[in-house]
Amino acid sequence: MNVSKNVVKLLVAAGALAVATGAAAQSKGQFTVSVGANMLKPDVTSGDISAPALPHSQGDVSKDTQPVMVINYGLTDNISIESALGTPYKHKIYGAGAIAGTGQLGTVQALPAIALVQYRFFSPDSMIRPFVGLGVTYAMFQKERGSFAMTALTNPGAGVPTTFSIDNKWTYSGQVGLQVNVTPKWFLNASYIKTKLSTDVHFSTGQYQHMKLDPDSYILSVGYKF
Amino acid sequence: MRKTSFALALLTAAVLTACGGTSPAGGDQTPKTKFSNQITFGDSLSDVGTYAVGGVAALGGGQYTINGNNTSVSPELTGKNYTTLIAAQLGLKAPCAAQTGLIGTASAGFSVPITDHLECFNYAQGGARVTNPVGPGNPKLDKPGAISIGQMTVPVTTQIDNHLAKVGGKFKADELVIVMAGGNDALEQLGEYSAAATKKGSDALVASLVAQLAPGTPGGSAVILGAIQTEAAKPTATSQSIISAAITAAVMNGNPTAGANAQTIGSTAGAAALKAGADFQADPANAKALVDAMALAGQQLGGLVKTKILANGAGYVVVNNLPDVSISPSAKAQSADTQKLIAAMVDAFNSQLKAAVGGEAKVLYVDLATVSHDQATNPGPYGLTNTTDTACDLTPAKNPLGSSLVCNAKNLKSGDVSHYMFADSVHPTPFEYALIARYVLEQMTVKGWL
Repeated sequence: MNVSKNVVKLLVAAGALAVATGAAAQSKGQFTVSVGANMLKPDVTSGDISAPALPHSQGDVSKDTQPVMVINYGLTDNISIESALGTPYKHKIYGAGAIAGTGQLGTVQALPAIALVQYRFFSPDSMIRPFVGLGVTYAMFQKERGSFAMTALTNPGAGVPTTFSIDNKWTYSGQVGLQVNVTPKWFLNASYIKTKLSTDVHFSTGQYQHMKLDPDSYILSVGYKF
Repeated sequence: MRKTSFALALLTAAVLTACGGTSPAGGDQTPKTKFSNQITFGDSLSDVGTYAVGGVAALGGGQYTINGNNTSVSPELTGKNYTTLIAAQLGLKAPCAAQTGLIGTASAGFSVPITDHLECFNYAQGGARVTNPVGPGNPKLDKPGAISIGQMTVPVTTQIDNHLAKVGGKFKADELVIVMAGGNDALEQLGEYSAAATKKGSDALVASLVAQLAPGTPGGSAVILGAIQTEAAKPTATSQSIISAAITAAVMNGNPTAGANAQTIGSTAGAAALKAGADFQADPANAKALVDAMALAGQQLGGLVKTKILANGAGYVVVNNLPDVSISPSAKAQSADTQKLIAAMVDAFNSQLKAAVGGEAKVLYVDLATVSHDQATNPGPYGLTNTTDTACDLTPAKNPLGSSLVCNAKNLKSGDVSHYMFADSVHPTPFEYALIARYVLEQMTVKGWL
């Protein structure tokens, strides 16, 4: 909740600046920076936790929204490169499949680093510029945290809390988006990024689990052209 | 630009606050419910050492599994049953047997005074039934002259009474109560069923011998019956020796044809015996009586949970149903018909138990029958490598009781048996007990207790 409040404040602060009118629209050699929020929502296809487990013990991962800063540079008037900076996404991991109903079993933070090459339609001074992008993503996971329930389900009574780690992965992402040039210097940016992401979860009990996360990312931001 | 820097500063601050230890950790290991105690009622599957005294202790046993901490041999060989694992996971002290002792043959070390342990709350006893005080291993079932292990087999109904008497008649609302029974009712019923079939067979054997031999024997049926009774009284008696004794008596008393026709007489009598036994087992009424008896036991156990446990204030009651005994090595050693009968008995017990307690908000009915059946048919995901053989070497030379009660690292079968399902013909290995503990805890989590 605090996070979303901060995002709103941020957007308001940024929006308040949307007064100045400048000359150039986004074009070759131009930097733009936009800030906003990104909702990262894994589209999970869970593998089964390996033996010993109830057959079809699976997992699900919740979505999270965090502030984001999108940085863009125009290589030409139509081709740009983009990257994003943000705070870690905090995901909750739930039991699914045969262990559905067990609730939250763990948490993990995801830090996706992304670099995209984009094609922007229409001319730099158009008010509306749709774009498509393709890029590489490095999905990094950290702060994997287990729980009482995770230990109870995997190694009860041994006095050893079960931990897990998720493999970091290089992968690729596709993007569609829309830039609305509100003034020559200020714009609104909306984009959707789909990332193919399969990774493995390794438990301290020696068990593992293949997870297809394939996250959907929804970004809304307000930007300024330098 | 200055305003943008403000936004950047905000983001930086957010990144910084998110920092901390980034490597994996166990997280919060406290359960949602803090239980004050774990109280267990049941049979060998929950027994943590009622008979771990005298001769049993001397043989390195005491629980119905692979005894002892043998984790140096294999990490799975913890020697712990599921009640011990659950207590440890819940942060409670290790359960101990509320009563110890043996009431069997003193010369074999199986007579040890019964002692009640006030500080212990696991009342489960090997051989215990739901309400009947005489279960497997009880001296009342022993043949005269045989070495008796002497299990007390205090039934579940009395176990609960004993607990209530000890604590002043009430459960505390934050105690975890575990109930699991029914297996010994099934074994006892089956034993009686088999004994009844055998009796029908031996009666038919005697009748056939008398009918064939008495008419041609001076002295008639009295002579033949007398010889049969004398032979049958011997501990070594078999149908073959009884047949021989009857024919010999006939010949000795002057039956002219008995000697020459011995083979025919013997095979006719044997066939009559087999037919009578088979007829008994083929009669659906006899099988139905067993299924009905199990249904009654299930109903009674459900009743005990309601009238003696819930009614006395318990807040959290785990009721494990009867695992699928029909997949155990004990059942697999019997005919397909008997296995079907056992499956029907388990079903009857469990459906009555579920009907009684399944709707109770403070009861968690755990369906171990379905899980154990699935384990036998689909062992891979559970990590089980063998669901049909026993991990313990039960030959008399290695295991004088032929039971996991005295099974340990020294009398296991060779090879890696750590992931076997069964220690002996009905009891789990520590690995299977761990699977049971995990399933019970999973169900407790789904129920919202953990």
